[in-house]
Amino acid sequence: MLEAYKKKYYKNNFQYILVDNSGKIIETDDAIFHIDANIQLQSIHPFFEILNNLLQIENESFDFTCINLDFEDKLFVVDITIHSHKNNENLIILENLTNHYNNYQLTAQTRNESIINSQILELKNEYLLEKETFKNNFIANFSHQLRNPITASIIFSDLLINSDLSSEQKNYLDIIQSANKDLKSRIEDILDISKIESGKLILIEKDFNLKKLLKEINDGYKILAVKKGLEFNFNIDDALPEFIKGDQYRLKQIIGNLLNNAISFTDKGFINFNISLNYIRAKKASIRIEVCDTGCGIEKQNIDSIFERFTKIESETQIDNGNGLGLAIVKYLITEMNGSINVESEINKGSNFTCNLSFKLSYESHSINKVLLKKQLPSLEKKYHILLVEDSDLIQLTILKTLAATNNFYLNIISKGEELITNIINEDVDLILLANTIQGFSAMNLAASVRSLSKEYKKTPIIVLSTRAYKDDIKLFKQSGVNDVIAKPFDDKKLLDTIYKHLNKKRK
Amino acid sequence: MAISKKIVLIGHFGVGKTSLIRRFVENAFTEDYKVTIGVHISKKNIEIPEEETVSLIIWDLEGQDDIKNTRPSYLLGTNGFIYVFDLSRPVTFENLDSEVTYLKENFPNTPVKVVGNKMDLVNKVYLSDYNDVFKPLVDFYVSAKTGSRVELLFSKLAKELI
Repeated sequence: MLEAYKKKYYKNNFQYILVDNSGKIIETDDAIFHIDANIQLQSIHPFFEILNNLLQIENESFDFTCINLDFEDKLFVVDITIHSHKNNENLIILENLTNHYNNYQLTAQTRNESIINSQILELKNEYLLEKETFKNNFIANFSHQLRNPITASIIFSDLLINSDLSSEQKNYLDIIQSANKDLKSRIEDILDISKIESGKLILIEKDFNLKKLLKEINDGYKILAVKKGLEFNFNIDDALPEFIKGDQYRLKQIIGNLLNNAISFTDKGFINFNISLNYIRAKKASIRIEVCDTGCGIEKQNIDSIFERFTKIESETQIDNGNGLGLAIVKYLITEMNGSINVESEINKGSNFTCNLSFKLSYESHSINKVLLKKQLPSLEKKYHILLVEDSDLIQLTILKTLAATNNFYLNIISKGEELITNIINEDVDLILLANTIQGFSAMNLAASVRSLSKEYKKTPIIVLSTRAYKDDIKLFKQSGVNDVIAKPFDDKKLLDTIYKHLNKKRK
Repeated sequence: MAISKKIVLIGHFGVGKTSLIRRFVENAFTEDYKVTIGVHISKKNIEIPEEETVSLIIWDLEGQDDIKNTRPSYLLGTNGFIYVFDLSRPVTFENLDSEVTYLKENFPNTPVKVVGNKMDLVNKVYLSDYNDVFKPLVDFYVSAKTGSRVELLFSKLAKELI
């Protein structure tokens, strides 16, 4: 019975070929394909060229698996065994495994394609990451390099405004000051974006007076709106807490960006700036900020993209002079503060930006008041000696002018880092202003060498004027003995406030 | 009568061994990738000036991450190796040194040509970034796609074999 079934289902996958020592076919059973006898096996496929070597070795067996033989326009995938004999009769056995190997080929195809694709994707990611890092570093470095000239421009125009100028000159100076302010704010936006992308933008939580901040914002933007002939309505909810804990600077930046956009995109009508309390729960106040305008509005299909970087919505009637970064920063800051922002807009009717933010309630309002009281104008009983270590002529001149205008200081300037120690040992120095890098020396190294001197020099305040003032940078500066860092670009107020603060501390 | 010489192409999968052979034998190229399993064998005669005709029997081996996994019978009677890697995929040349050393140690009298394929996908700056890896080992930068230096590769090797 079994024999009958075997006969019925038997598949002969083997072909036996007998060849002489030169490879000439003596006999073949043609089970897989037909080959004429008396021809050289080498002539039917180049694989069999191997016989020229192998048949020289007597009484050996050689196994070759998965050989692709294309024969008469058909592909066979076979395992081949070659038995060489002494008697000029060599046996070649072909096992046809085409179906089996074709199935394996499909599996290998899927596997290899998937591996290669993932490798290519990984490489593309690496490339994009490198490109992004390069771009961020370039933006950061370029923006930093702009800080010295901007600082000089801001301070000198501030000094100039108090001099004897004609009304026409004062008008020109107003334009210069406005351009300075604009340039400074754009550079700060670019730096913020590069900080966001490198993960260096960190929110700093401190107690602050919310109502006072809102009033300051209102005062600033009301002037701009009124100048443009717009009505500006400020509504503040009496229920809002006076003091909260959060990043005051970034909250101001969020509201400022929204108001700035509203004013820029509105030619007639009004701007409504409303702040209200949603609720107070779990020692937190949820605040709703609303900025409405009657401006040109945003097309529905553009609403989602306005929070993307470098997005500027084209409008026939409006010219936006911004850099397209403001709303991207706003969105990032609100997300970081675990808040939300919503936009409703209708073309030619206006836009309504609403954001909800939560802040911890502050219980330190009294101590803030005390600090605020302390920050009164200083009263100096003598002139102080300031040592400036800076190699930029522009910054040297800027600081010289600022300090000279107060008549409170003697200023000594050195341009070389190696002269610092000799100078503080031989001269009177009450405070050191240090550039962050100065001809091969870093401020950190210079500050550390000052602090390594005898005890009397340990208390001399050191203030670094730095183009790099991220939280990490400030931490490193302070570890090396620096007391404070002033970020460039700075104005005369920031410079003088910081100097007075440290001189007052030293006096005590 | 032509002298037969067996050349084996070896290297990672997807580096373009089959494409190089196709370019050399048929002067054709396709972007489609078909995985080779086992071995495909092709033949091409080339004329060596002032010498003779060499019949190259070219074995196109299934790609391997590690050369040591190659079936030994495939390498029997090999007269010359072409080790191929993909210039655009670092994973295919991260062990280049040890792979080439393995071939040279186990087949001391057999010439090995080390070939970076897909030259059309990289630029000079990229090559100079990898100069330390490539310079001591690589004999040819080729492109099966454009055909650049493919003919030269095979004819140089053929000359060395006679």
